[in-house]
Amino acid sequence: MLDIRRISTNRWRHKKKNWILFAIFLFLVFVRISKGSFYKDFYYFISKPFWPGQFQKEIVLESIDQEYLIKLTLLKKDNLRLRRNLSLQESSSSNENISAAVISRKTGSWWRQIILNKGSKDGVEIGNIVIGPGGLLGRVKNTSLFTSSVTLITSPESKLGVWVDRIQINGLMVGLGDDYPSLILYSKDADIKVGDFVSSSPASTLLPPNVPIGIVQSIDETLKSKKTAKISLLAKPQVIDWVQIVKVNI
Amino acid sequence: MNKFFSKKLSIISFILIPIIFLWHPSWLGFLGVQPYWPLFWLLPWSMMKGSINGLIFGLFLGLILDSLTLDDSFTQIPGLIFCGFLFGRIKLHSDILLGHFRYGLICSFGSFLCGTLYFLQILFINFSDSNYLMLIPSVKNILAEVFLTGFFAPFICSQLLRMFKFSRRKL
Repeated sequence: MLDIRRISTNRWRHKKKNWILFAIFLFLVFVRISKGSFYKDFYYFISKPFWPGQFQKEIVLESIDQEYLIKLTLLKKDNLRLRRNLSLQESSSSNENISAAVISRKTGSWWRQIILNKGSKDGVEIGNIVIGPGGLLGRVKNTSLFTSSVTLITSPESKLGVWVDRIQINGLMVGLGDDYPSLILYSKDADIKVGDFVSSSPASTLLPPNVPIGIVQSIDETLKSKKTAKISLLAKPQVIDWVQIVKVNI
Repeated sequence: MNKFFSKKLSIISFILIPIIFLWHPSWLGFLGVQPYWPLFWLLPWSMMKGSINGLIFGLFLGLILDSLTLDDSFTQIPGLIFCGFLFGRIKLHSDILLGHFRYGLICSFGSFLCGTLYFLQILFINFSDSNYLMLIPSVKNILAEVFLTGFFAPFICSQLLRMFKFSRRKL
């Protein structure tokens, strides 16, 4: 009788420690499912005193002027092309921008993402695009109440349709986990050159057309069926402190 | 208050890992890469508490860190579970100086393991002919992370181990 009682008290479910561990496990599963919203909001409050100062805005505005000049030329060309070809869908011109500061930045290693200090409370939605001084940085992948997380275009998960303006050809830009994403052109005859300007594709379903992205840095022609090129980004995610979140209606 | 902090030191330091992971201090980086922070906590914890505890807390760390990264298709859990289990089988060394270097080597190995497992997932999920493009940046990422983790481990792990021992003695 005594032996039976001893066995039953030694069962795992009778130990308080095991139940505590199980409760922690359930809590962490909840954290995992909620994509760490709780942690990001907590980080929002503790990092608040260290956010970039207002003077950054002046530097950002100067860079934006340059960016707008390039954009304007591209838009004029694009508009002309669209007028000639009415079968193309017109992009929305009523884009709404939200300014946000970068409060966490992971621009090295595998995880290439930034966290911004504007979240669903400020109207940020999943799929919004994020532009920094120079051009495109990435897309909003996840939002919490106060923050939004952005997958950078350098991330291995990022794949975007892009447009090489000089040779009028679409290509696929893939992030490789370093600072230079790769442009894949599925045509061996494409006359791409170092210095060519790359922007978002007018045919893209993820991005509005003609958002500046980068410049071709080097070309690899070793493959038989396609050409690849390294792209130097115009917007540098590792140094930018202020960004614009653009709501897109494509 | 002091007694509370010394008792709960391991838990407080556990909570700090995701904060450092998000903070990503660039001045500690090398080639834009950071040391693999969770291993610095996991090594002393597993060495003190054993393999099963290491495995469980490796899983917990993986769950938290996965929730903070945006890559839905890849996970850090397998690497951390394996490291937690492996670290638990290592015994404390009596020679303090040798112990310091051992932490560096063990953490470097753990970081290599976690980095390789993560890279293999990327290769497996994005299986296509553009994979070869990822090879050089990925090897660079793994090697930089291994170097940094091994470099900082002797300082951080030995301090954490000392603090964990101290808090256990108080209990």
